[in-house]
Amino acid sequence: MTLFSPLRVGPLTLPTRIVFCAHLTGSALDGLPTEQHAAYYAARAAGGAGLIVTEEHSVHPDDRPYEKLLRGHDPAAVPGYRRLTAAVHAHGVPVLAQLNHNGAQSSGMYSRRPLLAPSPVADPLFREVPKEITAAEIREVVAGYARTAGHCAAGGFDGVEIQCSQASLLRQFLSPLTNRRTDRYGGDLAGRARIVLEVLAAVREAIGPRRALGVRLCGDEGIPGGTTLAEAVATARLLAADGRVDYLNTSVGVATATLHLVEPPMPVRAGYALPVAAAIRAAVALPVVGVGRFTDPADAARALAEGHCDLVGVVRGQIADPEFAAHARSGRPGRTCVGCNQECAGRVGLNQPLGCLVNPRAGQEAVALPPPRIPRESPVSGARVAEIPWASRPLRRGRAVLVVGGGPAGLSAAATAAARGHRVTLCEREQRTGGQVAVAASTPGRAGFGAVVSDLLAECDGVDIRTGVTVDAAFVERERPDAVVLATGARPARPAWAGSLARVADVRDVLTGRVVPTGSVLVYDELGFHPATSVAEHLAAAGCAVEIATPAMVVGQDLGLTLDMELFHRRAHAAGITMTTDRVVLAAAPARSGVMLTVLDHAVDAVSEIGYAWVVTAVPPEPEDALWRALRGQDVPVHRIGDCLAPRRAAAAVREGHRIGVAL
Amino acid sequence: MLRGRTAPSRVLFGPHETNLAWRREISERHAAYYARRAAGGAGVIVTEVASVHGSDWPYERAPLAADAGPGWAAVAQACRPYGSLVLAGLGHAGGQGSSAYGQQALWAPSGVADPGTREVPMVVEQPEIDALVAGYGAAATSAVSAGLDGVEVAAGQHSILRQFLSGLTNRRRDTYGADRVRLLREVLAAVRAGLGADGVLGLRLCCDELAPWAGITPEQGTAVAGAVAGTADYLVPVRGSGLSVWATRPDMHEEPGFNRGLCARVRTAVAVPVVLQGSVVDPAFAQQALDQGVADLVEMTRAQIAEPDLVRHVRAGTAERIRPCTLSNARSAVRDPRNPVVSDDAEPRAGHETEDPPVEGTDAVSRAAVVVGGGPAGMEAARVLALRGHRVRLLERDGRLGGALRLAAAVPGRARMGLLVPWWERELARLGVAVELGAEADPALLDAAGRAGEAVLLATGSRPAQSPIGGPAVLDAVFLDAAAFESAVLAAGSTAAVLARRPAGTVVVHDPVGDSTGVGIAEQVAAAGRAAVLVTPDQVAGVQLARTGDLVPANIRLQRAGVVRELRTRLLDVRDGRAVLEHVWTGACREIGCAVVIDCGHRLPADELWRARPQLRRAGDCVAPRTVHEAVLEGRRAAFMVGASG
Repeated sequence: MTLFSPLRVGPLTLPTRIVFCAHLTGSALDGLPTEQHAAYYAARAAGGAGLIVTEEHSVHPDDRPYEKLLRGHDPAAVPGYRRLTAAVHAHGVPVLAQLNHNGAQSSGMYSRRPLLAPSPVADPLFREVPKEITAAEIREVVAGYARTAGHCAAGGFDGVEIQCSQASLLRQFLSPLTNRRTDRYGGDLAGRARIVLEVLAAVREAIGPRRALGVRLCGDEGIPGGTTLAEAVATARLLAADGRVDYLNTSVGVATATLHLVEPPMPVRAGYALPVAAAIRAAVALPVVGVGRFTDPADAARALAEGHCDLVGVVRGQIADPEFAAHARSGRPGRTCVGCNQECAGRVGLNQPLGCLVNPRAGQEAVALPPPRIPRESPVSGARVAEIPWASRPLRRGRAVLVVGGGPAGLSAAATAAARGHRVTLCEREQRTGGQVAVAASTPGRAGFGAVVSDLLAECDGVDIRTGVTVDAAFVERERPDAVVLATGARPARPAWAGSLARVADVRDVLTGRVVPTGSVLVYDELGFHPATSVAEHLAAAGCAVEIATPAMVVGQDLGLTLDMELFHRRAHAAGITMTTDRVVLAAAPARSGVMLTVLDHAVDAVSEIGYAWVVTAVPPEPEDALWRALRGQDVPVHRIGDCLAPRRAAAAVREGHRIGVAL
Repeated sequence: MLRGRTAPSRVLFGPHETNLAWRREISERHAAYYARRAAGGAGVIVTEVASVHGSDWPYERAPLAADAGPGWAAVAQACRPYGSLVLAGLGHAGGQGSSAYGQQALWAPSGVADPGTREVPMVVEQPEIDALVAGYGAAATSAVSAGLDGVEVAAGQHSILRQFLSGLTNRRRDTYGADRVRLLREVLAAVRAGLGADGVLGLRLCCDELAPWAGITPEQGTAVAGAVAGTADYLVPVRGSGLSVWATRPDMHEEPGFNRGLCARVRTAVAVPVVLQGSVVDPAFAQQALDQGVADLVEMTRAQIAEPDLVRHVRAGTAERIRPCTLSNARSAVRDPRNPVVSDDAEPRAGHETEDPPVEGTDAVSRAAVVVGGGPAGMEAARVLALRGHRVRLLERDGRLGGALRLAAAVPGRARMGLLVPWWERELARLGVAVELGAEADPALLDAAGRAGEAVLLATGSRPAQSPIGGPAVLDAVFLDAAAFESAVLAAGSTAAVLARRPAGTVVVHDPVGDSTGVGIAEQVAAAGRAAVLVTPDQVAGVQLARTGDLVPANIRLQRAGVVRELRTRLLDVRDGRAVLEHVWTGACREIGCAVVIDCGHRLPADELWRARPQLRRAGDCVAPRTVHEAVLEGRRAAFMVGASG
């Protein structure tokens, strides 16, 4: 059994074992499916996925936890369903709709109605007390599942998956934490699972025998007193015995309490959730989907080979590389999900459409790329070239492009421009490419981030890459390129208070080994992201006593968006790293054993002096734009991208590199 | 009279975020929203700020001037019957924007990261500045072509023009740095050219950034106002910078009319009409400001969200009927990625004018109705029923009306919430509702009412939930839920008196919700001289206050009051005068002294009557305990349903 062995699931035959499991995309408009949905799923089907399960479709109008939720209960969704399913079916891949009601994991903000839940227990994230659902309302919700399933059948879906996992009324019924009912829908497992069986009966009735019916179960809520694996296995047995279900999907975590278990960040190993699939697979005869941050096809293949599951869910891996499965089959490299969570989980969590740091096309699939501006004498028509994927052999008939800087922006620009037929030269001042990504990847637990640049580099095989080359205006004059792309990055900024103190250094100075702090270190964080927390962990591991201070209310604030926060706190606690908020450094003076800082606590307007052996700053860098100043206004077209335009994060660099690569 | 156009009153409805846009277009929901305030007598209406250039997309539904023309025309048409002057708000958020939507680098005078987003912007050069100036001019032309009376240029909070004016954000070494007013002058000239001679040009200008070390001071702001006012037809002095976003439209902790001094000062320096902005909610105060020469007009934005008919009532001599604005910002401040629609605590139709029917009107058949429970849901249901022609009895178990709202208003800093109670009392009296206080309803009474043909509506509120640590774990600590605590304080007359009756020692305020209650009660305990510890699972105290603007001020107040904030913490156990706290992520436990626990957790519905008679209609907290807004909305809806069932 390999990733490419077809599998029968109920009435369906899946061409491969790789499932694009349900996840929020933020693509809906007014609650209806869009062309973006169709293009997004079709790209993964074209790339070799064996089964697509769409994002959730709500079964009831009162259920609207977020703005861009699909309103499956509304028949107006059906025309969009037809376009979506036709686009996926064009690639011979079945597609299911996930049906759900979010229960108390929701807000009345949009619906202006009370929430419905098994018991009046407020969700830890939404913090709104729900109404205890009545028996009549249960009938209405069950009917909503059936009606929505009917819309999905009419819209061409090959079946539906019932969510009983990360954010669902049905999981709330299954979990003793949220179901405190004393009627027939509460109590023992049979009581708590009653509504699930009623839903399955109603949905099977609605879709008939020729469509697939799956259930996604939560194997472990990750909350004290919540559903355990043993209980999930018992539920799986109950569902299998019911006879209406064709497959079981698995997950761990609760979206509004333990989301880092649902969409774990970079430090979590592949297959972390496989024990759930394995235990359920051992208990039932149905095909079981295993999940768990599979970003490398080899890990996915091993999960199958070792018998943990029958199918492997790969979500972020296929967001990063729509051809994940095809690349796995051919052995050709694609772009690897690094588990950064910045543009997928991070954006969707803020009600923004999904994106991807390494794949700027993710979330933009419905927007066709313009044909490259290849000179007219080219025998290759623009339209043909436009279809050539990034990694294909470039056609060297385009413009001569000089890319200056080999960080993520420059590599992204070079890779895209080369794939679109341009003749690209990339010059990097340092001896190796990678820029700040390479530095970031050297910190504890962040090695995976290096794939951001190594994948781009692999796509640059037709690019003339020259390292150790400093480009100036004279160089450009000599080379006479058709266009110059400046991706010269940013340099560390030195806060005014730091003066020339040797014991005050930038994060980059530490990570590149230019300085080696020892003793007590203050990491001063104005960025609110990995630089400060990573260097703190690095220094703590080297034996320093580390404190992180920030003017903000929270250290590393944006780690919350990427779901790194909880794990960081556990590591920091173990490493003895302390954190201080609301602090502004006003001045620094040399002290016998280091630096004496004058620090303002701006909340209480108190100034104090504190000594440290070293101070490491994580502050906004400055654009490295000397070449821009030298070249702007000259004849050659010059484009600035990435940090040399405005120092930001890697996603902006990769995106702007891609954008200029297309625009050329 | 502004540029030859007469505003029907001196009350301005200022530009504010609404999330009513359809994509980036001014929508028909906008038109209905503004038209309702025009109908109520607003003199000048400034529509939601539209971005003058595609480089600016500060929030998902931020209008874009290039897409706003048809919507502006619809607003002009909808407001025209009422005579209000309608102006388009025009702006560019610069470095205070977001790159999340446009996916382009932010534009700003210098590469200074906004303290809120920490995003470093790109430094605009001459081509970008030229595009910006042209964008203002083109947007002004588009606004008057759409039939609007003119525009208001945003140089206050969230504006690139303020960022150019301020030493905090403008560190340029070119002429736009040497003369920080230059861009504003260029923009005003372009806008005037774009408007033509008879379009109104208003300017909203930051005259105090509350950051005297580098920001715009009142001296500088007044000088700038004096320098540019000649090109404007009116001026709105405002305050606040990126370091104090909350200060521009602060919540009820700030004194209403706080800009009075700033406004008066600016008015002496300019020859054009000046508008008093800043939590102006009381018509008498507004009149006084006009009488005393503080201002020529008053901006009453949130007051008119809460009461669209504010000006009409003042004109008619029925000012006592104006629904008070709480200044809670809970519904009116909508800068939030979830895109909540603008509304009001007690006027839920605000922002929903195209969906919700107006309360005014008479139902076809007059009925008798009895409403059980005199909190917000019951009072609103009784008010609407009586307004629509029904005979209403309102039964309240307690000796006075108000329910949970009275207790919520007892939390320090929250007193304005309580202004709603006497308003309802006045309205109920005016409408002839028979209020029966001290009247405990039981199933027999409900049955009798039903037999007598009275429609029965339950609005019986909420009750405390079980202790967060379970019953038996509490041994010698005194456990109080927040409502019981405030109720005791109201009865005793002081916080200290209530706490004096409990064991001496630290008071632990348990706050798993993170709204105004936990923070306020911690302040209250500290102010009474007791050691207070706020225990929250969140990374900051009062996390839900982010939307209202009180998050930073609340945390500052807590620290200055000496309240210990135990963050990322849950209360595990309380015994023998000690509380066991657990870090929510690391699981690390520690003990602190704990004499009293005040629980600010979620409540449960008080639904005993409904359980006894589940066929009856119910509204508000007895369905699910939430906020005053949901209670009013459901009370109103229930009244409509009773009215329609005649």
